[in-house]
Amino acid sequence: MTPRSAPCISATDQMLELADIHAGYGQVPVLRGVSLVVEPGTVMGLMGRNGMGKTTLCNVCNGLLATASGSVRLDGHLVTGNPAFEIAQQGMATVPQGRDLFEDFTVDENLGLGGPVPVEIYDWFPGLVPLRNRLAGTLSGGEQQMVAIGRALARKPKVLLLDEPSEGLQPSVIHDMGAVLRRIVDDVGLTILLVEQHVELVQAVAGSVAFLADGVIAEQVPIAVLSDSLNDNEGPVHRHLSI
Amino acid sequence: MIEAFPIFLDALSFVLILVLVASGLVIVFGMMGIINLAHGELFLLGAYTVVVAQGFGAPFWLAAALAPIVVGVAGLAIEFLLVRFVVHRPLDTILATWGLSIVIKQLVVLAFGPGSHSVAVPIDGAFSVGEFSYPAYRIVLMIVATAVIAGAGYVLVGTRFGLLARAVIARPGTSASLGINTGRVTQVSFAIGAALAGLAGALVAPLISVDPQMGLGFLVPAFLAILVGGAGSMTGLVAGGGLVGGLDSVLGGWISPVLAQITVFVLAILVIRLRPGGLFPGRGRRP
Amino acid sequence: MNRLSASFSLTLAAIVFVALALIPVLGSGYWTGQATRYVLFGMFAMSLSLLWGRAGMLTFGHAVFFGIGGYVMATMTMGLFGDGILSELLAQPWIALPVSVGGAALAAAALGWFLFWGRGVSGAYLAIITLSVAVVVEQAVRGFYALGGDNGLVGVPALATWAADPFNPVPMFYTVLVIAAVVYVGLDRLLRSRMGALLTAVSANPDRLGHFGYSVFVVRLGAFVLGAAIAGLAGALFVATDGFASPSLIGFGLSAEVLIWVALGGRNILLAAFLGAVAVRLAESFLSGLLGDFWLLALGMVFMASVVLLPQGLIATPMLWLNNRWNQGNRSNSRDAPGPANDGMV
Repeated sequence: MTPRSAPCISATDQMLELADIHAGYGQVPVLRGVSLVVEPGTVMGLMGRNGMGKTTLCNVCNGLLATASGSVRLDGHLVTGNPAFEIAQQGMATVPQGRDLFEDFTVDENLGLGGPVPVEIYDWFPGLVPLRNRLAGTLSGGEQQMVAIGRALARKPKVLLLDEPSEGLQPSVIHDMGAVLRRIVDDVGLTILLVEQHVELVQAVAGSVAFLADGVIAEQVPIAVLSDSLNDNEGPVHRHLSI
Repeated sequence: MIEAFPIFLDALSFVLILVLVASGLVIVFGMMGIINLAHGELFLLGAYTVVVAQGFGAPFWLAAALAPIVVGVAGLAIEFLLVRFVVHRPLDTILATWGLSIVIKQLVVLAFGPGSHSVAVPIDGAFSVGEFSYPAYRIVLMIVATAVIAGAGYVLVGTRFGLLARAVIARPGTSASLGINTGRVTQVSFAIGAALAGLAGALVAPLISVDPQMGLGFLVPAFLAILVGGAGSMTGLVAGGGLVGGLDSVLGGWISPVLAQITVFVLAILVIRLRPGGLFPGRGRRP
Repeated sequence: MNRLSASFSLTLAAIVFVALALIPVLGSGYWTGQATRYVLFGMFAMSLSLLWGRAGMLTFGHAVFFGIGGYVMATMTMGLFGDGILSELLAQPWIALPVSVGGAALAAAALGWFLFWGRGVSGAYLAIITLSVAVVVEQAVRGFYALGGDNGLVGVPALATWAADPFNPVPMFYTVLVIAAVVYVGLDRLLRSRMGALLTAVSANPDRLGHFGYSVFVVRLGAFVLGAAIAGLAGALFVATDGFASPSLIGFGLSAEVLIWVALGGRNILLAAFLGAVAVRLAESFLSGLLGDFWLLALGMVFMASVVLLPQGLIATPMLWLNNRWNQGNRSNSRDAPGPANDGMV
């Protein structure tokens, strides 16, 4: 299967590569030919209005939703059609929208579901150390988000999909989360696809940003362009995010 | 006082048998949410495993050890060939497993005839203290049942497999994206539930007449015990089984057994209706 | 789409009922007598299709209402109620029949009220509770001496003198067939009305229906009572045909059997459910003698396969296919013919 609109770089140089993805729910198409490339050790922001298919794209990447056509490559390996758990074992991790913690499990039990908990987790999230035996459902939103990210990192993934991590969090917590994510990327060379509506978080973490509109990638720009164009009524942020 | 003791022991052994039969169902129905109407027939297969093994001259305890293996493998096959295709359609799961129960029953009728078989009680004699005596096998059965129930509870609460099983039940999609092989976990859980039913059938076989229709008589009280206690936890089951089985047994000696069963069923339905989470709601499925 | 259009459904029903009406002409008296029972089971199956296929209430105790209809009819027409003139009056079939139907409806109202008020029981819980109810009721009837216990009540009078000749089952057959046709047409029209849409909504999205100001409780209870009344009617006519009311009519066994008929025929389509009952009973009368214990094995396997592979039902699936062909044909034949959406499709 040769992706039509993929850039002319050899596939193995990319960490995450989506080629001409079509997907949807039942008869309703949501993604209509999405192609996107994320290089190793970089963070790509994915922005777009509600209902444009950002979460659908995440679910296509991690295998929870089948594609109608198109392919997903993880570190050069074709993963389209593999069961979700296999894709996860191949190095794709997800922090789902709304976090989806196991509220009845303790923090340690949540963290350990993917495998033995690496010690770095507690370096990155020292705030979790005193909470290890608390039930996840009793934590604050920010603490829960740390557990969700830590849980996804426990299997030492190659690619992390973050679906709206800022949702429901205070600005200060979002700021701290941005700093931690940046540090993790620098520490272990993680590749991140960050689905966000929160511009400051994307600016803090991502190196470039893609805009999803009407089921395709409408535009892709370096983060500097995004920052420069924030006040520009003709810029990408206004074109793709304002109503 | 000494007269009341056998009544108490009868009730206790009946409760333990009921909880043992239902313990497999707690995993499959209470936790996985799979309504397996063929559970009674898995119990039946356990009892017939003993009948067959004894026919070959195997000692009872070997036969009883064989039963959970045989029925567990049958459970794996059932999950692989039937349940996984309907598990996302809960009401169709009820129907498909009901069809399965008919098929198993008829296969048993074809292989062993419609009549009943008896299994010799493996431990003769009675256990006696002073004037009081009680059949030894029933005492042994109670001890074994308690150990099995406790073991099943430990697997669910205290082991990594139990943790994974509970995770898969609560959030299958999230579990899969954490790298947990959800299909495998469901399959193994179903097989463990089946093996427990088979073990129950083998252990109870010496006390009852083994015939192709014996499954339904245990299926309904087992479901009621789970729902009364609160689906999804072994503690809930022990409580529910204690109430349903204990009341049935005590009332059965007092008024007629049929009237006792009617009373217990009606009371159980009332409890389920008024407290849908059961008397001791667990962490598992909610209605 | 898992429903038939109004015009197709009416045409198909006409064909089916006309074909059934030919049985006494073409077949022997024995088969006419058997066909009477099959049609009554078909009516019973339609009432379950209403509850389960349409309103989403999977019940394992529907035969309780069939049996209540049967036992009320039996006890009344046998003169077991009251004495003297009152007893004779109550024994009149034309009084006993509506009372049987009312009895089943009343029992369903009581049980339904208990099951559905408040948050209500649905899904698997409903299945398990109704299963327990069926077991309890059967045990109670078996243990109830006044109702004949295990032996049931033998010698239930026929509906009328013209139906009493055991060698001429034709009048009773046509009576039953006409009643079944009337029930079919009535239910079909009801399901194509606003009530049908409400029932579908109750099964698909009860919470949202509640937000629109409808009482989910009332709709569920209404469907439950109506289904039970039809089951009771079928049961009452059944014992009048058979002359025998047995505990097997009221228990778990028949409840599970009717589920199999409806599942095999097609839970969503009244006519498919009706034909499912007729087809399985017919197959049983031919094959159970031939296959012995293998018959039930085969039935169980076909049932299992149908639930997994063709959940719409073995009869409903081809019906739906024909329905689509029919509607396409209609549309291409005449330019202004209404499409399926305007064709009373619900």
